[in-house]
Amino acid sequence: MALRAAVLRHVRVPVQTLTRTGTKSRPWGPNCGSIRFLSSHDDHLTKEEVIDRVLSVVKSFPKIDPSKVTPNVHFQNDLGLDSLDNVEIVMALEEEFKLEIPDKEADKIDSCNLAIEYIYNHPMAG
Amino acid sequence: MSVTSTAAYVARRAAQKERVRILYRRALKDTLNWAVHRHLFYQDASELRERFDVNKHVEDLDTIDRLIADGEASHNKWRHPDPYIVPWAPGGSKFTRNPTPPSGIELINDSHDDDQGCCL
Repeated sequence: MALRAAVLRHVRVPVQTLTRTGTKSRPWGPNCGSIRFLSSHDDHLTKEEVIDRVLSVVKSFPKIDPSKVTPNVHFQNDLGLDSLDNVEIVMALEEEFKLEIPDKEADKIDSCNLAIEYIYNHPMAG
Repeated sequence: MSVTSTAAYVARRAAQKERVRILYRRALKDTLNWAVHRHLFYQDASELRERFDVNKHVEDLDTIDRLIADGEASHNKWRHPDPYIVPWAPGGSKFTRNPTPPSGIELINDSHDDDQGCCL
């Protein structure tokens, strides 16, 4: 027992600073802006993010020239689409933001501006 | 006389266009319900679009009404029995599940009676 106590008194284990390196390599630290909470009620989209995602959806529509798409563009007057293309774009936006827009309201969305306003003001847009 | 008939024509055309848009929207959603994969959906959606585009240049109002009624009847017949609903929407799997408590609720924790029981 005395031998064991003497050995234990002289043995030193090097202490590793695990916590410091852990915080450095963490990709989603508190300093990073893209925190996603578990509850979907807490993270509301910012206006810039809504604009970016709406424009990317509209630009990826096959009948549209992507260089013409701006946040103020009107689908049928400016982009040369017809009303059924308009329906398809609104449905693509619904899927992008995981929304369920009632038929009558979806029918009124006919420009990028209206779509951005509607999605930004929708509480469940994600 | 001609002004009223023109106004009636325009109103009827607008109502027909809205019916067609809503019918196309519902049919397109239903296509997504029936198609399991995306590549199947794209094929079905373009076929649906072709069925609408065939009658694009029909001018007669009564014919248009009949075509719309036919389309709605066909859509009702082939409607999906268990469509996808966004979870929070009425009928969805998370509808009214775990609602947020109303504002003004105060949580009182009196399970321990020591002096430090100031916070929850």
